[in-house]
Amino acid sequence: MKYIPTIGIECHVQLATKTKLFSEVDNDARGKEPNSCVSPVDYALPGMLPRLNGEAIKFAILAGRAMNCEINAYSRFDRKHYFYPDSPKGYQITQFYHPIIGEGYVELPSGARIRIEHAHLEGDAGKLTHFDMYSLVDLNRVDTPLIEIVSMPDIHSAKDAHDYCKELWRLMTFAGVSYGDLYNGNMRFDVNVSLAPEGATELGTRAEVKNLNSFRSVERAVEYEIARQSKILDAGEKVVQETRGWNDSTGKTTGQRSKEEAKDYRYMPEPDLPPINLTAEFIETESAKLPLMPTGYRKKFGGVLKAEILEVLLDYAELMKKLAEIDEKYVVAIANLFTSVLLAEEKSAEYLNDLPTAKQLNDLAEMNEKKELSSTATKEVFLRLFDPQMKGRDTKVIAKELGLIQENDLGALEAIVDTVLAKPETQKAQADFKAGEEKVIGFLVGQVMKESHGKANPSAVQEILRKKLA
Amino acid sequence: MEIKREDIIHLADLSDFSLSESEITSLGQDLQGIIGYISQLEELDTDNTKPTYQVFEMENVWRADEILPQDATREELLALTKEEKDNQIKVPKVL
Repeated sequence: MKYIPTIGIECHVQLATKTKLFSEVDNDARGKEPNSCVSPVDYALPGMLPRLNGEAIKFAILAGRAMNCEINAYSRFDRKHYFYPDSPKGYQITQFYHPIIGEGYVELPSGARIRIEHAHLEGDAGKLTHFDMYSLVDLNRVDTPLIEIVSMPDIHSAKDAHDYCKELWRLMTFAGVSYGDLYNGNMRFDVNVSLAPEGATELGTRAEVKNLNSFRSVERAVEYEIARQSKILDAGEKVVQETRGWNDSTGKTTGQRSKEEAKDYRYMPEPDLPPINLTAEFIETESAKLPLMPTGYRKKFGGVLKAEILEVLLDYAELMKKLAEIDEKYVVAIANLFTSVLLAEEKSAEYLNDLPTAKQLNDLAEMNEKKELSSTATKEVFLRLFDPQMKGRDTKVIAKELGLIQENDLGALEAIVDTVLAKPETQKAQADFKAGEEKVIGFLVGQVMKESHGKANPSAVQEILRKKLA
Repeated sequence: MEIKREDIIHLADLSDFSLSESEITSLGQDLQGIIGYISQLEELDTDNTKPTYQVFEMENVWRADEILPQDATREELLALTKEEKDNQIKVPKVL
């Protein structure tokens, strides 16, 4: 039978604030020792009180606006109780009843819109590492601010699930609210999948796959679940509502121990944190700080750049900002350099941290346009611009130092061509060309290029050669 | 509302407590007493009272995003745990 899959996704995004959500301790534990970014609040020592980080509220507004969401003036925190060593408090502080971010939508590259049900602020849990006989607890991640984004069940394919997660990642990195480092768990996805027979009005029983940390694993887990559930339904059996874990190496999901029900969390208002009640002006001021989002760039560059190139570049927020500063007439040339040269390099991520200035790039494109630089030389100078020592320096000076400026002076070029034509080793080629062997022109151009130490403009050389040998 | 034996066992389970038979009984009685006390509140007329969870009427209490030195060092905090290993807190295996 044919089934229509319905997919809802919950995404946890770690916010890149300087300090944690509820204490003034360093929130950036990347590359730091276990338990070195921990406050007495994180340890939940008796009498410790949470102190709300105002920046997290501002980040939540930006994140919400990036997803075209309503920002709720009134929001509040609740305690969600559960017992586990990753949470010394014995509860998570979250926004169960009154989230800060209301309804909105995310537009995929295909134009499809996935509605957002809501998103809320909460503190992350610590990290557990499991060994044979024991587990170790690192509390660095405790109360790192998170926003949990809950989608409506608008996704109906593994590809759209992938694209939605990727677009969320872009929105969060473009908005500048998260480092977006998936490898380090900055974004984690819980995906629930259900199947219903085509034409059915009710959704089927859903299974939830928890804690996916890449777009690819989201896509694979959804594909796997669709296949698994189809098989169950085809056999006339019932899908069990459960939480399943994903194994990236086997490519399978497996059932996990049943989870608590909502009432088991014993939600209650967090008495230590007064409610948030934002003025319209505050929301307006913070919302106005949202930079151009991927959809905006698609509108801006859609007529100029090919969709495939644009979608590649849209993975890099800093790069897009830079591209927006480039002279309109050079956007295509610079975009092509980024895609063909930089992103092909192994070190691209490292390079992208510190981009050349718009002026350096504009000058480079102009030199290429005026044929002062061959296309090969342009690529070479382009990469050179990423050298920290070249920071802010004039592109022309750099190109000159590298000896890459093309010889366009026709008089000078003619003199070089004459020298080459006078050489005994080119006589046969000249005769062959005159006799109609078109392809030897390449050999002759090559000889001139060699004589000019690579600085001659090959098309100008070819033109001169053809004139002289006519 | 009547607190049943299963409710106590379920709550203990959620908190990972093991309780003896006598504790189940006595906690059940305590909890029943507390619920009974709270249910007295149901007699109050709250038709014209706005739901609230704090009485100070404070709002928007938040701080600047600045790292401040902490009152306790990692060593001091780890010293409070029962057992540590490699600067981490060692706990019985959980999954």
